Amino acid sequence: MSSLPPVPSLSFSLFTPPTTRFGPRLGTIRFKRPEGAEIQIQTPGFLTSASRGVVPHLSRDHYAESSIRWVNLPFESFLDVPPPVPTLVPGKNPLHSFLGYSLGQHVVSMSARDPADGREMPANGNTHVSTYSLRGVRKITPADWRSYVLSCKPDIVFALSDIPFTNPPYSQKRLTKSIERSASWLANILSPPTHTSTYALSEGEYKPNILIHMAGAASVPARRAFASSLVEKLLGPEADAIKPLETLDQGVFGYTFDLVPIRLSLEAAEKQHQDPFYSPVESLPQTPPSAADANSNSNSTSTPSSEVNLDPVIPAHTDQLTPLLHASLEPLPVEKMRLVNTVQTPHEVLRLISTVGIDIFDAHWAQRAADIGVALDFTFPAPSSSSSSSISSTATKTRDNGKHDIGHNLYSDSYTHDFSSFSATPCECRACTPIAPSTRIYHGIDDPSYSNEEPAASSVREKPSFTRAYIHHLLHTHEMSAHSLLVMHNLGVLDTFFASIRRIIQRDMEAQIKGSEVEGGEWEEEVRRFEEYYDESLVVFEEARVMWRDVDLARGRGRLKREKKRQEEGTLGTAVEL
Amino acid sequence: MQFEVIARCPTTKARVSRMTLAHGVTMLPTFMPVATQAAIKGLTPEQVESLGVTLILNNTYHLNLRPGLKVLNEVGGAHKFQGWERNLLTDSGGFQLVSLSKFTTITEEGALFASPFTGEPTMLTVRLVVDAPPSTLIAPEPKPEESISIQHAIGADIIMQLDDVVSSLTTGPRVGEAMERSVRWLDRCIAYHEKSGKKERQNLFAIVQGGLDPGLRDRCLDAMIERRDNVAGYAIGGLSGGEEKDTFWRVIKQCADKLPDDSELSVDEYITDCYSNNLQGRDIQWESDSQKIYLSAWPLELIWYGPALLVFIEATDSYLNHIPKADCVFPTRTARFGVALTHGGPLNLKLNKHARDFNPIDVNCPCPTCSGKTSRAILHHTITQETSAAHAITLHNITFQAQVMGRARAAIVAGTFPDYLRTFFAEYFGGAGYPEWCVNALRSVGVDLLEGKDIKMIPGSGAKWEYSDTS
Repeated sequence: MSSLPPVPSLSFSLFTPPTTRFGPRLGTIRFKRPEGAEIQIQTPGFLTSASRGVVPHLSRDHYAESSIRWVNLPFESFLDVPPPVPTLVPGKNPLHSFLGYSLGQHVVSMSARDPADGREMPANGNTHVSTYSLRGVRKITPADWRSYVLSCKPDIVFALSDIPFTNPPYSQKRLTKSIERSASWLANILSPPTHTSTYALSEGEYKPNILIHMAGAASVPARRAFASSLVEKLLGPEADAIKPLETLDQGVFGYTFDLVPIRLSLEAAEKQHQDPFYSPVESLPQTPPSAADANSNSNSTSTPSSEVNLDPVIPAHTDQLTPLLHASLEPLPVEKMRLVNTVQTPHEVLRLISTVGIDIFDAHWAQRAADIGVALDFTFPAPSSSSSSSISSTATKTRDNGKHDIGHNLYSDSYTHDFSSFSATPCECRACTPIAPSTRIYHGIDDPSYSNEEPAASSVREKPSFTRAYIHHLLHTHEMSAHSLLVMHNLGVLDTFFASIRRIIQRDMEAQIKGSEVEGGEWEEEVRRFEEYYDESLVVFEEARVMWRDVDLARGRGRLKREKKRQEEGTLGTAVEL
Repeated sequence: MQFEVIARCPTTKARVSRMTLAHGVTMLPTFMPVATQAAIKGLTPEQVESLGVTLILNNTYHLNLRPGLKVLNEVGGAHKFQGWERNLLTDSGGFQLVSLSKFTTITEEGALFASPFTGEPTMLTVRLVVDAPPSTLIAPEPKPEESISIQHAIGADIIMQLDDVVSSLTTGPRVGEAMERSVRWLDRCIAYHEKSGKKERQNLFAIVQGGLDPGLRDRCLDAMIERRDNVAGYAIGGLSGGEEKDTFWRVIKQCADKLPDDSELSVDEYITDCYSNNLQGRDIQWESDSQKIYLSAWPLELIWYGPALLVFIEATDSYLNHIPKADCVFPTRTARFGVALTHGGPLNLKLNKHARDFNPIDVNCPCPTCSGKTSRAILHHTITQETSAAHAITLHNITFQAQVMGRARAAIVAGTFPDYLRTFFAEYFGGAGYPEWCVNALRSVGVDLLEGKDIKMIPGSGAKWEYSDTS
């Protein structure tokens, strides 16, 4: 078979065969390109979320310097004007070349919708998902999705799923539809190209690596039913459609869980339970009032309302998530990759690793923190109570409950004179550790032969860290540079966090192999200490969000309202003033 | 400061010089981006430096409001505060007296005005009385000295005297009064600066005032040239307030012709390049629909010499003065609103014609945006939505400006500056016609842009603006 042209190959391997179905695990995602570049992502690890195809606030030259290995692109933002522009990009790696990601450094995935968008949307149909674009709702059919994927050739693709964003909690009938459609749409993207297809592939050409969102909302039976349907051997025309695969699961690289819709369902169910007169729409901060007046299954809204909170805080319901995720994973092979979108806190990351064994988490929450002026500053393991950093003046604030913030709200005036680095201990990011440029552009009569200056040293020279006081100043003067530096930092903190997570898990595994492990292991102890040490209610985010809005109102006063509103809608209320 | 002329254009008098300050060498003429609030919009100082920028501007008025002198003193100046390792220039803050506050009162003892953000009386020449009711104007604590003291705390390599700025459209005795006062204030700034012990690292520039009146300009020039042993260089102030372009360049030429050339003077104490203070007039503008003040981001300051170069730079920028209201932007926002500058004229990337264009802004541009093959299509897709689109265009536009200056330096050194001017105009304006004032100004220094060409002249500012898909 060596005569076949080389194809990109994606693999996921666990460090050791898991002893339990659910629990901390170590793995490696390897993505090898035909050109030879291999990207490795150690798990547990994270993916970076893009907005309109780009990582918010970063210049392309910062991509290579930031802790970015996997970028997910919500595709809906390209649907404003058909055909979507990335589908027109020529070449073998259209997304990388169009969006400036590096073939040797970045794995790029594509999802139809932004997993962080919990806005109410018009209902999906039997053959379409309602998606959001700046010019209103756009329908994507499974055939559209397949053609977009085959044109854009993402390294990884999230199969189109029927996730309702109408009025949770959803009826059994609605959930049944959801799992049936999701399975059938998965079959669609798995089916090999036919000879008559315009996207016919010759051997060795692009074949998508597919992730499947685990459908079933907040219902254990529905989730179990969906998962089971993936491993059922298909018969008849269904089987013919996906040949040579026998089950849908055989064509799937990994399983994903978008937490926003699950949380919305759990929240709605809880409210309904507490209050018999509860009307589900009231629990949804993002539900437009007009829709509340209309019948609950109204399909009349053609565009999502903009007079709504685009960035609501949805109660986490973490404890209720675990059994739901278990229900989905139980029928499925244990060795495939598991991905969670829209975690809210590092605490939740730790718990989902502990109780479910999740491998990849999105970084949306940390990127969002950079939007609102929060510099993350936490460590895993948490500082021991005796260690100096917990009493140092550069440590994060301690709350009334005795717990510490996981970051600094740099809007706060307490940072006006604080010249320490974002993290008490500077991290490797370009905000904590800026590197003096080793080259510069010369424009004419300014090279060293004219300036008599030494050319820039080719060795790496680290500059002093950017300070909290400087970012405090930039935030209050509406300077966008603040957010660029904060994004690089927060991604850097996440990178360190996941590296520490892997180190502790590994130590436990090694201890286990030697037979010297203690009860529960170091991991469980450190997770417990982390939860005790750091405040999970994220008061610091709330405070930052309030100040962010205040400064926005005070300083952004002349902006054309229309422009601003569009930007907010397009960025889920996380817009930074341009 | 060390200042050395290394080449001259025999036709126009434009020259190339090497200026050595405490934070390195800046080759002149140069392009100086504006970092009003101690940041070039959206970029890191490392990015700015890698573009080949060696001099940026911070605004004294703004830094005094935020972060304030206490912070700047604690951290050891604005260089350290913003992580900028190259040269820095500050203005005096005087310009904002006219532009930012309608409550400005100028007296001999200084200027008094209200903060545009809080309404509180504030800054420069005023002692801030914290408990005062916001609407009360406090008796001024005078002082040109205070402007210098603030600039000392900022620590810029080049600092400006406090001048009494009046709008260039002002007529009558106020113009002369402002000029005379600027001269007296220069003496106080010099005296204060001499005593400060900061002279070794910071260089004080005088600002020539006198409005549009050649007589007043002349008297101001005489008075300021008399003080040449005590100033490191000169700026030309009090322009760009809405006067005719032809008037504007004539005043510049008058000053440039008269200001001493270093060949007669001790080089290490002297720099005769002119800091065009007036360009701040374009840096702060009013948005007509809301009457709100916008502050600068986008950078069009420069150090230049001679009318030839001035015209050249003004021309690249002149389209900004006549943009349709629907795209009511100004230089500070061009990048953020999707305007990319190219040698072939500005591109408005918001236009749909760029939506499917996979070419970079300028295939020959060395900036990270173009050399990284960022397409017009992705910029079109993200502009006004994502800050990173603005960053990408800002990286490009700064590089473009630096390229224009670098090529000018190269042409002067090669003795081909007049040709370069003609080529630049031909590429940038093409068949759209040349601004008449540019043609006039360059004729005054011996360059005929229209030589051998049949090109129409556009009166007014000669705007060139890509404002609709049908254009």
